[in-house]
Amino acid sequence: MAARITQLKTALEAALDGKIVSLREALGELSLEVKAQDYPAVARALHDTQSLGFEQLMDLCGVDYSEYGDGSRRGARYAVVVHLLSVAHNWRLRLRVFVSDDEFPVVESVTGVWASAGWYEREAFDLYGIMFSGHPDLRRILTDYGFIGHPFRKDFPIYGNVEMRYDPEQKRVIYEPVSIEPREVTPRIIREQTFGAPVPGK
Amino acid sequence: MGASEGLMQEGFITTSVDTVLNWTRTGSMWPMAFGLACCAVEMMHAGAARYDLDRFGIVFRPSPRQADLMVVAGTLCNKMAPALRKVYDQMAEPRWVVSMGSCANGGGYYHYSYSVVRGCDRVVPVDVYIPGCPPTAEALIYGLVQLHNKIKRTSTIAR
Repeated sequence: MAARITQLKTALEAALDGKIVSLREALGELSLEVKAQDYPAVARALHDTQSLGFEQLMDLCGVDYSEYGDGSRRGARYAVVVHLLSVAHNWRLRLRVFVSDDEFPVVESVTGVWASAGWYEREAFDLYGIMFSGHPDLRRILTDYGFIGHPFRKDFPIYGNVEMRYDPEQKRVIYEPVSIEPREVTPRIIREQTFGAPVPGK
Repeated sequence: MGASEGLMQEGFITTSVDTVLNWTRTGSMWPMAFGLACCAVEMMHAGAARYDLDRFGIVFRPSPRQADLMVVAGTLCNKMAPALRKVYDQMAEPRWVVSMGSCANGGGYYHYSYSVVRGCDRVVPVDVYIPGCPPTAEALIYGLVQLHNKIKRTSTIAR
């Protein structure tokens, strides 16, 4: 198991050498980080190189790091994380690329390499606002047709900005500003500070 | 049932038109099952072998034009709400709506979400609310029987 990971690591370093920003291994999984300008070339290399052979894209999603950890993080706000699978070699890889611009997040689309990325990139665009240049059909996929906003961003309130009801005069459903109060999260489970910590001697 | 007792004793029935009409309406109430989410599975359970709904005369119709009851079973999202209203408008009078499960009653588990209508009664008028997450099939049948009672109690042809 560890030998397979090391094998993949050496194969990645051989094929991509200068383009790797970081290659982390944790919990038996490998996470590769690349820069946004190298992203299309790396994707093409991961797909085409025989020694790597990542024919399948399993998942693509966006991440919003603005409230990561204790909130003191400095760096790019959005990232695109891709899960790849090689059926021939039976190994997986996580590919992370940070989006360079926070105000207008754009990365290259990998639908030219893996066609299955199509709907995932639409989802990342719909929920985070990350645009994918070169995508054949980039439009919303999950939110309502006239929905304004990107719901999975950390500054979007969970209850949204509008809510819906039926208006009998206009004879259709309409949107109105939200009327409910945000939920007050009261901690119901009070634990000691040392709960769950290993007891010395056991 | 009031109508048939008279038949047993006298040989003929005296009843009112309202009673007969309500007996027909409750005796064969055809729902247009609007199964949206997990409550739809409990509705399937209610229609299946153990808790048979067919013995109540309740057969599920695929079209709203042929239905007189709509069971909103599941979470109503903002995207689905215009379609729900359209389906309700296509049903012919007399029509009733049963809201099944906590999501259809008042938003339920997803009450604080940005894309959920907080209760289907914001979009259609509801006659019976069935609580539960999901309500057991037995609870759904109890709710439908309560709707029968409501129809017998309040439905009248007098205008």
